[in-house]
Amino acid sequence: MFVVIVGCSEVGFFLSRALAATGHEVAVIEREPHRYQILTENMGMVALLGDGADADVLRRAGVERADAVVVLTGVDSTNLVVCQLVKFLSQRPRTVTMVKDPKNEPVFERMGIDVVVNLIHLALVALEAGVPGQPLRHLMPFPEQGMELVSVSVPAGADIVGKRLDEVQPQLPPNSFVSLIVKRGHASMPAGQTIVEADDEVVAVTSIGEEQLLYDILTGV
Amino acid sequence: MRVLVYGCGQLASGVVRELTNDATEIIVLGHELSALERLSSYENVSGVFLDEPVMHDYLIEAGIANADAFLALSTSDHDNLLAAQIAHQMFGVRSVVCHVENPQLQVIYATLDESQDMNVISYSVGILQDIRYAMNEGQG
Repeated sequence: MFVVIVGCSEVGFFLSRALAATGHEVAVIEREPHRYQILTENMGMVALLGDGADADVLRRAGVERADAVVVLTGVDSTNLVVCQLVKFLSQRPRTVTMVKDPKNEPVFERMGIDVVVNLIHLALVALEAGVPGQPLRHLMPFPEQGMELVSVSVPAGADIVGKRLDEVQPQLPPNSFVSLIVKRGHASMPAGQTIVEADDEVVAVTSIGEEQLLYDILTGV
Repeated sequence: MRVLVYGCGQLASGVVRELTNDATEIIVLGHELSALERLSSYENVSGVFLDEPVMHDYLIEAGIANADAFLALSTSDHDNLLAAQIAHQMFGVRSVVCHVENPQLQVIYATLDESQDMNVISYSVGILQDIRYAMNEGQG
Protein backbone atom coordinates (compact mmCIF):
# COMPACT_ATOMS: atom_id res chain seq x y z
CA MET A 1 0.00 0.00 0.00
CA PHE A 2 1.13 3.55 -0.67
CA VAL A 3 0.43 5.88 2.25
CA VAL A 4 1.01 9.64 2.41
CA ILE A 5 1.36 11.10 5.90
CA VAL A 6 0.79 14.82 6.33
CA GLY A 7 2.51 16.21 9.43
CA CYS A 8 5.30 14.18 10.94
CA SER A 9 5.61 15.19 14.57
CA GLU A 10 5.02 12.64 17.37
CA VAL A 11 2.17 10.43 16.12
CA GLY A 12 3.00 10.87 12.45
CA PHE A 13 6.61 9.96 13.03
CA PHE A 14 5.92 6.68 14.82
CA LEU A 15 3.13 5.78 12.41
CA SER A 16 5.30 6.34 9.34
CA ARG A 17 8.07 4.23 10.86
CA ALA A 18 5.67 1.43 11.76
CA LEU A 19 4.12 1.43 8.28
CA ALA A 20 7.50 1.45 6.54
CA ALA A 21 8.66 -1.42 8.75
CA THR A 22 5.72 -3.56 7.65
CA GLY A 23 6.50 -3.10 3.98
CA HIS A 24 4.29 -0.16 3.03
CA GLU A 25 5.47 2.59 0.75
CA VAL A 26 5.36 5.78 2.82
CA ALA A 27 5.79 9.41 1.80
CA VAL A 28 5.75 12.15 4.39
CA ILE A 29 4.89 15.84 4.04
CA GLU A 30 6.51 18.00 6.70
CA ARG A 31 6.62 21.77 6.68
CA GLU A 32 9.14 22.29 9.49
CA PRO A 33 12.62 22.45 7.81
CA HIS A 34 14.51 21.17 10.85
CA ARG A 35 12.25 18.16 11.32
CA TYR A 36 12.29 17.52 7.58
CA GLN A 37 16.08 17.38 7.69
CA ILE A 38 16.09 14.86 10.56
CA LEU A 39 13.50 12.68 8.80
CA THR A 40 15.40 12.53 5.52
CA GLU A 41 19.03 12.56 6.65
CA ASN A 42 18.93 10.62 9.93
CA MET A 43 15.92 8.41 9.35
CA GLY A 44 16.22 7.93 5.60
CA MET A 45 12.53 8.61 5.02
CA VAL A 46 10.92 9.70 1.80
CA ALA A 47 9.81 13.18 2.72
CA LEU A 48 8.66 16.36 1.05
CA LEU A 49 9.28 19.77 2.59
CA GLY A 50 6.11 21.83 2.26
CA ASP A 51 2.66 22.81 3.48
CA GLY A 52 0.22 19.91 3.32
CA ALA A 53 -2.65 22.38 3.09
CA ASP A 54 -1.45 23.30 -0.42
CA ALA A 55 -2.97 21.29 -3.26
CA ASP A 56 0.26 21.49 -5.30
CA VAL A 57 2.31 20.01 -2.46
CA LEU A 58 -0.22 17.19 -2.01
CA ARG A 59 -0.12 16.46 -5.74
CA ARG A 60 3.70 16.37 -5.74
CA ALA A 61 3.65 13.91 -2.83
CA GLY A 62 1.52 11.65 -5.02
CA VAL A 63 -1.79 11.64 -3.14
CA GLU A 64 -3.65 10.90 -6.37
CA ARG A 65 -2.16 7.41 -6.51
CA ALA A 66 -2.14 6.88 -2.71
CA ASP A 67 -4.23 4.17 -1.05
CA ALA A 68 -4.54 6.24 2.12
CA VAL A 69 -3.65 9.73 3.28
CA VAL A 70 -3.21 10.15 7.03
CA VAL A 71 -3.47 13.77 8.16
CA LEU A 72 -1.85 14.58 11.51
CA THR A 73 -1.16 18.31 11.57
CA GLY A 74 -2.30 18.63 15.20
CA VAL A 75 -4.90 21.30 14.39
CA ASP A 76 -8.50 20.18 13.79
CA SER A 77 -9.35 22.84 11.23
CA THR A 78 -6.18 22.23 9.21
CA ASN A 79 -6.77 18.47 9.33
CA LEU A 80 -10.23 18.99 7.83
CA VAL A 81 -8.98 21.30 5.08
CA VAL A 82 -6.15 18.92 4.09
CA CYS A 83 -8.57 15.95 3.93
CA GLN A 84 -10.96 17.96 1.79
CA LEU A 85 -8.13 19.03 -0.54
CA VAL A 86 -7.18 15.35 -0.93
CA LYS A 87 -10.82 14.48 -1.76
CA PHE A 88 -10.82 17.30 -4.29
CA LEU A 89 -7.67 15.96 -5.98
CA SER A 90 -8.73 12.31 -6.02
CA GLN A 91 -11.47 10.03 -4.73
CA ARG A 92 -8.98 7.16 -4.60
CA PRO A 93 -7.27 7.44 -1.20
CA ARG A 94 -8.98 6.80 2.10
CA THR A 95 -8.66 9.92 4.22
CA VAL A 96 -7.74 9.26 7.84
CA THR A 97 -7.32 11.95 10.47
CA MET A 98 -7.52 12.82 14.15
CA VAL A 99 -9.65 15.38 16.02
CA LYS A 100 -8.96 16.99 19.37
CA ASP A 101 -12.40 18.49 19.95
CA PRO A 102 -14.73 15.46 20.22
CA LYS A 103 -17.62 17.50 18.82
CA ASN A 104 -15.74 17.90 15.54
CA GLU A 105 -15.96 14.15 14.91
CA PRO A 106 -19.51 14.19 13.46
CA VAL A 107 -18.61 17.28 11.38
CA PHE A 108 -15.69 15.47 9.77
CA GLU A 109 -17.81 12.39 9.15
CA ARG A 110 -20.54 14.50 7.57
CA MET A 111 -17.90 16.04 5.27
CA GLY A 112 -16.98 12.60 3.96
CA ILE A 113 -13.70 12.00 5.79
CA ASP A 114 -13.32 8.20 5.85
CA VAL A 115 -11.79 7.58 9.28
CA VAL A 116 -11.86 10.07 12.15
CA VAL A 117 -9.90 9.16 15.26
CA ASN A 118 -11.02 10.92 18.41
CA LEU A 119 -7.78 11.44 20.28
CA ILE A 120 -9.28 12.81 23.49
CA HIS A 121 -11.78 9.96 23.69
CA LEU A 122 -9.07 7.31 23.30
CA ALA A 123 -6.96 9.00 25.95
CA LEU A 124 -9.95 9.38 28.31
CA VAL A 125 -10.82 5.69 28.11
CA ALA A 126 -7.25 4.65 28.86
CA LEU A 127 -6.83 7.20 31.65
CA GLU A 128 -10.19 6.31 33.26
CA ALA A 129 -9.27 2.64 33.22
CA GLY A 130 -6.09 3.51 35.08
CA VAL A 131 -7.86 5.30 37.93
CA PRO A 132 -8.77 2.74 40.60
CA GLY A 133 -12.39 2.60 41.71
CA GLN A 134 -13.58 4.46 38.62
CA PRO A 135 -17.13 3.10 38.39
CA LEU A 136 -18.13 4.53 34.96
CA ARG A 137 -16.10 3.91 31.85
CA HIS A 138 -16.75 5.21 28.34
CA LEU A 139 -16.45 2.29 25.96
CA MET A 140 -17.50 3.68 22.60
CA PRO A 141 -19.16 6.85 21.30
CA PHE A 142 -21.78 6.97 18.55
CA PRO A 143 -21.36 10.70 17.87
CA GLU A 144 -23.74 10.91 14.92
CA GLN A 145 -26.60 9.60 17.10
CA GLY A 146 -25.47 11.39 20.26
CA MET A 147 -25.31 8.00 21.99
CA GLU A 148 -22.53 6.11 23.73
CA LEU A 149 -21.74 2.74 25.23
CA VAL A 150 -20.68 2.88 28.88
CA SER A 151 -19.79 0.38 31.54
CA VAL A 152 -20.73 0.87 35.19
CA SER A 153 -19.62 -1.37 38.04
CA VAL A 154 -22.27 -1.74 40.69
CA PRO A 155 -20.89 -0.93 44.15
CA ALA A 156 -21.77 -3.06 47.16
CA GLY A 157 -24.72 -1.49 48.97
CA ALA A 158 -26.15 0.20 45.89
CA ASP A 159 -29.95 0.49 45.86
CA ILE A 160 -30.31 -1.78 42.84
CA VAL A 161 -28.33 -4.68 44.33
CA GLY A 162 -30.66 -7.67 44.70
CA LYS A 163 -33.25 -6.24 42.31
CA ARG A 164 -34.38 -7.92 39.10
CA LEU A 165 -33.46 -6.20 35.82
CA ASP A 166 -37.12 -5.76 34.87
CA GLU A 167 -37.47 -3.72 38.06
CA VAL A 168 -34.37 -1.63 37.26
CA GLN A 169 -34.95 -0.91 33.56
CA PRO A 170 -38.13 1.22 34.09
CA GLN A 171 -36.18 3.52 36.45
CA LEU A 172 -33.54 4.25 33.83
CA PRO A 173 -33.65 7.37 31.62
CA PRO A 174 -35.67 6.89 28.39
CA ASN A 175 -32.69 6.39 26.04
CA SER A 176 -30.68 4.13 28.34
CA PHE A 177 -30.72 0.35 27.98
CA VAL A 178 -28.80 -2.37 29.74
CA SER A 179 -27.03 -4.30 26.97
CA LEU A 180 -24.85 -6.76 28.80
CA ILE A 181 -24.13 -7.88 32.34
CA VAL A 182 -20.71 -9.21 33.34
CA LYS A 183 -20.72 -11.28 36.54
CA ARG A 184 -17.36 -12.46 37.91
CA GLY A 185 -15.78 -12.24 34.48
CA HIS A 186 -18.63 -14.02 32.67
CA ALA A 187 -20.78 -12.04 30.26
CA SER A 188 -24.47 -12.82 29.97
CA MET A 189 -27.34 -11.44 27.95
CA PRO A 190 -29.50 -9.45 30.33
CA ALA A 191 -32.92 -10.95 30.93
CA GLY A 192 -35.83 -9.59 32.98
CA GLN A 193 -35.25 -12.04 35.81
CA THR A 194 -31.48 -11.43 36.05
CA ILE A 195 -30.63 -10.27 39.57
CA VAL A 196 -28.18 -7.39 39.92
CA GLU A 197 -25.37 -8.17 42.35
CA ALA A 198 -22.56 -6.12 43.83
CA ASP A 199 -19.47 -5.84 41.58
CA ASP A 200 -21.48 -6.62 38.44
CA GLU A 201 -20.32 -4.74 35.35
CA VAL A 202 -23.38 -3.27 33.65
CA VAL A 203 -22.77 -2.35 30.02
CA ALA A 204 -25.40 0.09 28.80
CA VAL A 205 -26.26 2.21 25.79
CA THR A 206 -27.13 5.74 26.81
CA SER A 207 -27.56 9.14 25.24
CA ILE A 208 -24.80 11.56 26.12
CA GLY A 209 -27.07 13.83 28.19
CA GLU A 210 -28.40 10.93 30.29
CA GLU A 211 -25.04 9.55 31.33
CA GLN A 212 -25.02 11.13 34.80
CA LEU A 213 -28.59 10.09 35.61
CA LEU A 214 -27.90 6.52 34.50
CA TYR A 215 -24.78 6.44 36.63
CA ASP A 216 -26.66 7.78 39.67
CA ILE A 217 -29.38 5.14 39.36
CA LEU A 218 -26.96 2.22 38.90
CA THR A 219 -24.71 3.24 41.78
CA GLY A 220 -27.02 5.21 44.11
CA VAL A 221 -27.39 4.05 47.71
CA MET B 1 -32.02 39.65 11.49
CA ARG B 2 -29.51 37.87 13.72
CA VAL B 3 -25.94 37.68 12.43
CA LEU B 4 -23.04 35.72 13.94
CA VAL B 5 -19.56 36.92 13.04
CA TYR B 6 -16.57 34.67 13.71
CA GLY B 7 -13.39 36.72 14.10
CA CYS B 8 -12.55 40.18 15.35
CA GLY B 9 -9.55 41.22 13.26
CA GLN B 10 -9.47 44.04 10.73
CA LEU B 11 -11.81 42.47 8.19
CA ALA B 12 -14.36 41.25 10.76
CA SER B 13 -14.31 44.54 12.68
CA GLY B 14 -14.82 46.54 9.50
CA VAL B 15 -17.74 44.35 8.45
CA VAL B 16 -19.35 44.52 11.91
CA ARG B 17 -19.21 48.32 11.89
CA GLU B 18 -20.85 48.37 8.46
CA LEU B 19 -23.54 45.88 9.50
CA THR B 20 -24.59 47.88 12.58
CA ASN B 21 -26.49 50.09 10.15
CA ASP B 22 -28.82 47.36 8.87
CA ALA B 23 -28.64 44.19 10.99
CA THR B 24 -30.79 44.09 14.09
CA GLU B 25 -28.50 41.92 16.18
CA ILE B 26 -24.81 41.04 15.75
CA ILE B 27 -22.90 38.55 17.90
CA VAL B 28 -19.12 38.52 17.44
CA LEU B 29 -17.04 35.47 18.45
CA GLY B 30 -13.32 36.04 18.79
CA HIS B 31 -10.07 35.34 20.58
CA GLU B 32 -9.07 38.95 21.29
CA LEU B 33 -10.73 40.39 24.36
CA SER B 34 -9.81 44.03 23.66
CA ALA B 35 -11.16 43.92 20.10
CA LEU B 36 -14.37 42.24 21.33
CA GLU B 37 -14.87 44.91 23.98
CA ARG B 38 -14.37 47.66 21.40
CA LEU B 39 -16.95 46.10 19.06
CA SER B 40 -19.43 45.45 21.88
CA SER B 41 -19.62 49.19 22.48
CA TYR B 42 -21.67 49.51 19.30
CA GLU B 43 -25.41 49.33 19.61
CA ASN B 44 -26.89 45.83 19.12
CA VAL B 45 -23.43 44.23 19.07
CA SER B 46 -22.38 41.69 21.70
CA GLY B 47 -19.23 39.62 22.00
CA VAL B 48 -18.46 36.00 22.93
CA PHE B 49 -14.88 35.42 24.04
CA LEU B 50 -13.40 32.14 22.81
CA ASP B 51 -10.94 30.92 25.42
CA GLU B 52 -11.44 27.16 25.32
CA PRO B 53 -11.21 24.82 22.34
CA VAL B 54 -14.93 23.97 22.36
CA MET B 55 -16.24 25.84 19.34
CA HIS B 56 -19.62 24.07 19.26
CA ASP B 57 -20.50 25.14 22.81
CA TYR B 58 -19.63 28.75 22.04
CA LEU B 59 -21.71 28.69 18.87
CA ILE B 60 -24.71 27.44 20.83
CA GLU B 61 -24.10 30.07 23.51
CA ALA B 62 -24.01 32.71 20.76
CA GLY B 63 -27.44 31.51 19.59
CA ILE B 64 -26.51 29.85 16.30
CA ALA B 65 -29.72 27.80 16.48
CA ASN B 66 -31.73 30.84 15.39
CA ALA B 67 -29.12 32.79 13.44
CA ASP B 68 -30.04 34.10 10.00
CA ALA B 69 -26.45 34.42 8.82
CA PHE B 70 -22.99 33.21 9.80
CA LEU B 71 -19.91 35.09 8.63
CA ALA B 72 -16.52 33.36 9.11
CA LEU B 73 -14.09 36.27 8.88
CA SER B 74 -11.21 35.38 11.23
CA THR B 75 -7.60 35.67 10.11
CA SER B 76 -7.21 31.88 9.79
CA ASP B 77 -8.44 30.33 6.54
CA HIS B 78 -8.64 26.87 8.07
CA ASP B 79 -10.53 27.98 11.18
CA ASN B 80 -12.96 29.86 8.95
CA LEU B 81 -13.58 26.82 6.77
CA LEU B 82 -14.20 24.58 9.79
CA ALA B 83 -16.48 27.07 11.55
CA ALA B 84 -18.42 27.80 8.36
CA GLN B 85 -18.96 24.10 7.65
CA ILE B 86 -20.13 23.53 11.24
CA ALA B 87 -22.61 26.40 10.86
CA HIS B 88 -23.78 25.15 7.48
CA GLN B 89 -23.80 21.37 8.01
CA MET B 90 -24.51 20.91 11.72
CA PHE B 91 -26.67 23.93 12.52
CA GLY B 92 -28.23 24.50 9.08
CA VAL B 93 -27.69 28.25 9.04
CA ARG B 94 -29.35 29.51 5.88
CA SER B 95 -26.76 32.04 4.81
CA VAL B 96 -23.09 31.20 5.41
CA VAL B 97 -20.19 33.30 4.16
CA CYS B 98 -16.58 32.16 4.62
CA HIS B 99 -13.57 34.29 3.86
CA VAL B 100 -10.24 32.76 2.85
CA GLU B 101 -7.00 34.59 2.17
CA ASN B 102 -5.69 31.85 -0.13
CA PRO B 103 -7.32 32.11 -3.59
CA GLN B 104 -6.56 28.42 -4.27
CA LEU B 105 -8.86 27.44 -1.38
CA GLN B 106 -11.59 29.73 -2.70
CA VAL B 107 -11.57 27.98 -6.09
CA ILE B 108 -11.44 24.47 -4.58
CA TYR B 109 -14.25 25.00 -2.07
CA ALA B 110 -16.44 26.61 -4.70
CA THR B 111 -16.01 23.36 -6.66
CA LEU B 112 -16.51 21.08 -3.62
CA ASP B 113 -19.77 22.72 -2.57
CA GLU B 114 -21.76 22.31 -5.74
CA SER B 115 -24.94 23.62 -4.18
CA GLN B 116 -23.11 26.88 -3.40
CA ASP B 117 -25.03 27.13 -0.14
CA MET B 118 -21.82 28.09 1.58
CA ASN B 119 -20.33 31.16 -0.04
CA VAL B 120 -16.54 30.99 0.08
CA ILE B 121 -15.15 34.40 -0.77
CA SER B 122 -11.59 35.69 -1.11
CA TYR B 123 -10.61 39.27 -1.59
CA SER B 124 -7.23 38.09 -2.85
CA VAL B 125 -9.00 36.91 -6.02
CA GLY B 126 -10.03 40.52 -6.57
CA ILE B 127 -6.52 41.73 -5.77
CA LEU B 128 -5.07 39.39 -8.41
CA GLN B 129 -7.45 40.83 -10.98
CA ASP B 130 -6.55 44.36 -9.91
CA ILE B 131 -2.83 43.58 -10.18
CA ARG B 132 -3.24 42.12 -13.67
CA TYR B 133 -5.31 45.09 -14.72
CA ALA B 134 -2.76 47.56 -13.28
CA MET B 135 0.13 45.78 -15.03
CA ASN B 136 -1.68 45.88 -18.37
CA GLU B 137 -2.43 49.55 -17.80
CA GLY B 138 1.29 50.15 -17.19
CA GLN B 139 2.16 48.56 -20.51
CA GLY B 140 -0.13 51.11 -22.09
